[in-house]
Amino acid sequence: MTQVLDREQIAEWSAQKPQRPWTKKPARLQAWIAVAALLPAALVALIFMYTDIPGPILLVAVYFPLQLLAAGIAAVATKGRQGAADSVIIVLAVGATLFSFIILTSVLGSLIARGLEALWGEDGFRSSFLFQNNVYINPSTPLEYGGLGHAVIGTLMIVLIASLIAVPIGIATAIYITEVRGRAVPYVRFFVQAMSGIPSIVAGLFILTVLIVSGAMNQSAFAGGLAYAILMLPTVARTAEEVLRLIPEELRTGALALGSTRARVVLRVVIPAAKTGVITAIILGVARVIGETAPLLLTSLKSDQTILNPIADPIAALPTYIFDNVALPYPGAVTRAWGAALVLMILVLILFTLARILGRDRLNRFR
Amino acid sequence: MSTAEYEPTTEYESTAHYESDVTVLEEQFVEPKSVGPIELESQDVSVWFGKRKVLEGVNIAFPKNTVTALIGPSGCGKSTYIRTLNRLHELIPGAALAGSVLYEGKDIYDTDIDPVHIRLQIGMVFQKPNPFPSMTIRGNVLSGLKLSGMKRDQHDDIVEETLTSAGLWNEVKDRLDSAAGELSGGQQQRLVIARALAVQPHVLLMDEPCSALDPTSTLKIEETVRELSKDITIVIVTHNMQQAVRVSDYTAFFLAAENEPGYVIEQGPTTDIFGSPQDQRTLDYVNGRFG
Repeated sequence: MTQVLDREQIAEWSAQKPQRPWTKKPARLQAWIAVAALLPAALVALIFMYTDIPGPILLVAVYFPLQLLAAGIAAVATKGRQGAADSVIIVLAVGATLFSFIILTSVLGSLIARGLEALWGEDGFRSSFLFQNNVYINPSTPLEYGGLGHAVIGTLMIVLIASLIAVPIGIATAIYITEVRGRAVPYVRFFVQAMSGIPSIVAGLFILTVLIVSGAMNQSAFAGGLAYAILMLPTVARTAEEVLRLIPEELRTGALALGSTRARVVLRVVIPAAKTGVITAIILGVARVIGETAPLLLTSLKSDQTILNPIADPIAALPTYIFDNVALPYPGAVTRAWGAALVLMILVLILFTLARILGRDRLNRFR
Repeated sequence: MSTAEYEPTTEYESTAHYESDVTVLEEQFVEPKSVGPIELESQDVSVWFGKRKVLEGVNIAFPKNTVTALIGPSGCGKSTYIRTLNRLHELIPGAALAGSVLYEGKDIYDTDIDPVHIRLQIGMVFQKPNPFPSMTIRGNVLSGLKLSGMKRDQHDDIVEETLTSAGLWNEVKDRLDSAAGELSGGQQQRLVIARALAVQPHVLLMDEPCSALDPTSTLKIEETVRELSKDITIVIVTHNMQQAVRVSDYTAFFLAAENEPGYVIEQGPTTDIFGSPQDQRTLDYVNGRFG
């Protein structure tokens, strides 16, 4: 005899509440975790209070091994030998994460603290620092006057020129490697790889000797953009290649089986499927170059004025502005350099957020 | 290899024999002789993904050393259900569950149960063969021992024994050290069955193990399943009704209406589900009228 669904039980079942029993830890395990997490920290805190051993040494040489040991003991006590390996890996992973977190926050912290000195004075927020240029300003001028508006415009202009050149070429290179699969693929990949090893100053020197010294163009935003493009190209190409490679082959054959041409497969199926990845490639390319100083010192020089013509005159950019000011023996100039560094970082943040919003994949959000 | 000469299971054969005599049928299948104690049992199991309830009130008991087939149309929660039986369900973000799953009488979702231990005892074979590409055939068979930290001696014997019970030994005995990726799809699937057997599970969950295979490989795997059920309990999800008839002792029929969770509409001995189902939908499904 078979057993049939009992309709009357459905009301009973629909009263069930969804649960996640796997998120709960047994009390004994919780107790061990608490002890293993608190005991080493308390011990090290005591040593720190009653001895003169410097904190960082204590942290690395005493706290970390102690924490590893505590986690190992707790794991063996609760889960046996198998658990010990797990706990060691967890402690190492958390430790490494904390380490990079500390480095990141201290860089950001000092940058924000020092940078705000330039952006925020007794008179409140100094919009002048963001929007004015450096004309009539000397290193001892008070911070109330002058700013880096011209350098922000310069950086945006140079990066835009570089992106306009490097992004299409980079993505085309990736498409050649993954989609066209021509005969030259191994050589193209080799050269792209080799290109990513070019030191940034060499890119600057190349533009300087080939295009500027020869008289073909002036030191300008365009020359700087060309130097940036050389550096950006391999990053964009390689990242885009990686993401295109992740697109399953079935998608391509599926489109081809609908009578699509190769070009339409790439433009209508592959690139849209890899859209977020391609945007990441562009972001990484911009991130690679936006702080580069050396090529600009040779190709776009510097300027105190707001320059809007990309080909005629030398132009200021944020990295060169920082470079010029930080070396000056005036506290005011050094503060300006920190302010410029903060602005550069905020600029990068804005660009990245923008790219993320543009690249958001509405169809695939849950995958 | 003459794989075409597949012999039907004894139970099924006997059905044909006693077809006219209903009382004998009932006696034989309500309490089949081979039935041991209940090894695995789900009680009122309901499953959610996020806010969506995909499965409601599943009560199925799996007797020791039997084969139970889970049938039903796509999207009715069979695969989801089978993943709750060895705690793979919880790996999906947003997954939730109610009810309990008893293994040897103990709830596997108790807080003091280690899921690693459960998965070691309740193995699984997936829809797509997934041998580890970086390992050899031998390495794949023994990988479970390494991954779980289980200690077993005489590795060569284990390799031969498990590959034999998975029905693959004769085909690969001369090339145990070649890459697993060189095998055909059907061979790969039997390789992952051997891999699952090497850690000596008590229960084996199979999620449509033959859906990507040709009829010959399918028959081989069905033979393997019948053979294995002498020693272990098997739960097999299948879309192939003939396969359910050929390999299973018991069958549970899952069905989900549109935008409603799936239910077990009917369950019982396979011969009854296919021979004398009580629910009209079961009758329609097993006769291929929908799904």
